[in-house]
Amino acid sequence: MSNEHNQKTNLDEPMVYQIRIEGHLGHQWTDWFEGLTITLEDNGEMLLTGPVVDQAALFGLLKKVRDLGMSLVSVIRIKPDQKVPPEVKE
Amino acid sequence: MHYNGFMSTPILATKLYIPSPRAKVVSRHRLFERLNNSLSSSRKLTIISAPAGFGKTTLVSEWVAALTLAPLPVGEGLGVRVAWLSLDEDDNDPARFLTYLVTALQTISPNIGNGVLGMLQSPQPPPTESILTTLLNEITTILDNFILVLDDYHLIDAKPIDNALTFLLRHLPPQMHLVITTREDPQLPLARLRSRDQLTELRVADLRFTSSEAAEFINQIMGLNLSAEDIAALEARTEGWIAGLQLAAISMQGHHDTTNFIKSFTGTHHFVLDYLVEEVLHQQPENIQKFLLQTSILDRMCGPLCDAVLLNPSSSAQETLEYIGQANLFIVPLDNERQWYRYHHLFADLLRQRLHQSSASTGGAAGGVSELHIRASQWYEDNGLELEAFHHAATGNDIERAERLIEGKGIPLTFRGASVPVMNWLESLPKTVLDAKPPLWVMYASTLLFSGKNTAVEQKLQAAEAALAAALQSTEPDEKSQDLIGRIASMRATLAVIQHDAETIIAQSRRALKYLHPNNLPVRTATTWTLGYAYQLQGDRAAASQAYAEVISIGESFGKSIYTLAATINLGQIQEANNQLNLAAESYRRSLQLAGDPPQRMVCEAYLGLARITYEWNDLEAAAQYGQQSAQLAQQLIVDTFAAYGVFVARMRLAQGDVSGAVAVLSEAEEFVRQHNFAFRMPDVVAAQVLTLLRQGDLPAASHLAQKHKLPISRARVHLAQGDPSAALSVLEPLRQQVDAKGWQDERLKVTILQSIAHHANKEKDKAMQLLGDALELAESGGFIRIFVDEGSLMAQLLSEAATRGIKPGYIGKLLAVFEAGKQKSEDKSSLPSTSSGQPLIEPLSQRELEVLKLIAQGLSNREISKLLFLALNTVKGHNRLIFGKLQVQRRTEAVARARELDLL
Repeated sequence: MSNEHNQKTNLDEPMVYQIRIEGHLGHQWTDWFEGLTITLEDNGEMLLTGPVVDQAALFGLLKKVRDLGMSLVSVIRIKPDQKVPPEVKE
Repeated sequence: MHYNGFMSTPILATKLYIPSPRAKVVSRHRLFERLNNSLSSSRKLTIISAPAGFGKTTLVSEWVAALTLAPLPVGEGLGVRVAWLSLDEDDNDPARFLTYLVTALQTISPNIGNGVLGMLQSPQPPPTESILTTLLNEITTILDNFILVLDDYHLIDAKPIDNALTFLLRHLPPQMHLVITTREDPQLPLARLRSRDQLTELRVADLRFTSSEAAEFINQIMGLNLSAEDIAALEARTEGWIAGLQLAAISMQGHHDTTNFIKSFTGTHHFVLDYLVEEVLHQQPENIQKFLLQTSILDRMCGPLCDAVLLNPSSSAQETLEYIGQANLFIVPLDNERQWYRYHHLFADLLRQRLHQSSASTGGAAGGVSELHIRASQWYEDNGLELEAFHHAATGNDIERAERLIEGKGIPLTFRGASVPVMNWLESLPKTVLDAKPPLWVMYASTLLFSGKNTAVEQKLQAAEAALAAALQSTEPDEKSQDLIGRIASMRATLAVIQHDAETIIAQSRRALKYLHPNNLPVRTATTWTLGYAYQLQGDRAAASQAYAEVISIGESFGKSIYTLAATINLGQIQEANNQLNLAAESYRRSLQLAGDPPQRMVCEAYLGLARITYEWNDLEAAAQYGQQSAQLAQQLIVDTFAAYGVFVARMRLAQGDVSGAVAVLSEAEEFVRQHNFAFRMPDVVAAQVLTLLRQGDLPAASHLAQKHKLPISRARVHLAQGDPSAALSVLEPLRQQVDAKGWQDERLKVTILQSIAHHANKEKDKAMQLLGDALELAESGGFIRIFVDEGSLMAQLLSEAATRGIKPGYIGKLLAVFEAGKQKSEDKSSLPSTSSGQPLIEPLSQRELEVLKLIAQGLSNREISKLLFLALNTVKGHNRLIFGKLQVQRRTEAVARARELDLL
């Protein structure tokens, strides 16, 4: 939980988001989703993962999902990967 | 002044076109019933809210076609009529949105909202609510019930437009019903509408094909012959998603083994659509595939445009478009002539993604796609559709082309309803690109200024200057850079006009005129006007009129602009201040002719000028009428004119002996001036307040106000009322010198009259007479009356005496006649207190009630009347009750009819 708080204070850093969607798209769609990594899961869902500059950009991405008529399962913000070590470890 | 940039006809027609239903469709009676029910239970709004590909637009277009049956000649439509507006991203500009909304309504009632369109094209449109109020009033005159469909509302992402629709819904006339199709719930008060049973919603659960609908679609419409089991499998896989089912059906039309196809398709996790589009494309011949991919960059297509994009002389795009239509490949005709089409939005997105993919994989990177955009841009430009041309240039990343298209051939795109897309584009450009092209920074600033985002302008101007300085490091500025320097200064002058900061206006205007290119007449004219305005603020009337005269003469030689109108009005004000009332009236009237119909709102100043002049000429009826015309225009926007109007009304009330009415008006005006920071209007308001206080005999309050605001004329009046004429004279003397030095004729006349009165009170008769003679000399050619009459009986005495001395006997004769008539009138009133002006009523209407009644007869609402007369809304309602009671009627319309019978109007 404390990591969450640390992230919130750092407003200018891009946030890493993970968007979970129903259905698989090919990797050629990476560009369409502004460079997010596409991971296909066995259960038929797909993860779009990557840095998102700000909230406006996030909503832009969600609109793209909407405009393809795909079903959104979840959107979560995740810890930036190992490059930025968490300041507080519990 | 009229420009219609974005109303380019072919595009306009496609936006208003009601999609025609296909010959064979799945009948969706269960949904039609719910839609019909929405109408018959008089709900205000229907929203059809579901993701892409659920047949929203198709459903509504089929439903309205069923409602209106066959197209009937205009005016004979029975029952319900339909107006349609397909929205796109550019409609996020409120002015543009409202313009299209009105044009859509005009498809059912051709003259509706013409005035509103005029307002929207003026440089400072009135607040959206007052535009909508006007529009709503006109909508109530439409006889038939009608539906307005707003298709693709999810493309609207602008709070002002959501607010406008909310307002519209709150006041929706009973004959109107709104239908919105959207991919996301609109930001409207849906919960409230729901709870009041004013909303019908069709959502994805309703729109999905049921099993029987899916079966009907696959087997009857698409002509496949699938088993119930296969259909069930397809339906399960697509979850009733219509676009998916349609793509599956098209794919299967080319497959021999449909069962196998369904198996392979249902066995994967592939996103249905992505998978199926692949299938569909592969079944098309290569030339069709290429056509689909390359034309997917177009929001709308016609044969010649596609030809221009494809550059393939061997085949005709028109024929290909028709083939695609027959093959059911998600193409939608946008007119009856089958000239313009678009792809289904979802299909277009998928095609575009593939286009980018293929151009990237062939190593062409985005260059290939950009090239297509540039060709499209060229075609649009050649066909005079500059906004579309600009869009493709921007998407094709051809900055020079985009810049050139914004500049346009006459008026930049920014000023033709395209400020939103232009702003979006400029915002999207990296700073390095803007820095390399200073004109883009300047364009950025002017777009912001035009959009009323004044506080953001200066920062861009500084960026422009920095970029210019960097570009010019070692070289002398060329003509173009000089012109940019001039435009930057001109914008700063305009910003200073908003602040009423004369010194900055003058400095920046002079700089602008020094640098602007001699041929840049539009900006030069604007700058000459700002200069004139600053001189006027400073009281340098000669310099101001010279600037205004120049603006007017440029207009005469090179075409009139909004500045011709402004300068004509301002010139009138200066002539008025020079006591040249005839010339001033002429200028004001000329400005009314220039102002067009409906008039530019700035002519409220001209009407007010005419009101003051006709008042001065003692034509009180004309004055009242001009005053009302001024107020009607002024209340549509927050301008200082409203304060000046208050001062005028107060003078009228005082002239009619209605002191408390004058007090009320002035306290409203004072409040308005404070609230909106129009400090420079305060002295006029206070001077009038001092007059009312003197009339009420409240000398201490009058004295306090006059001292506090340092108003010499008011102070002199207070001294006179206190019986201290020498104190009055000692205030007037230095003022007299100052006024003479500045050449302010209006002030000189006022001072001279007061000096004459003061000398008279000081028993210096000869001096008083000499000054009165001077005053008459100053006033005669302008035909001044009220300035003398308003001084009261003492002035009548002075004038009679002057006449006996042989001073201006003709003029004085006229003035004394007015005094006499006024006395007569008040005697009439006092001798017949119970009937005013011979009304055949038991209880006659008061002056104020008559005033209210006249405005009722003009069709003004209570709210409008309250604003116009500076009364509280409840007071107006109270007057209404009294009027109705006295006339023995129940309604406004009856009151007007009865008043006409009795000759009260």
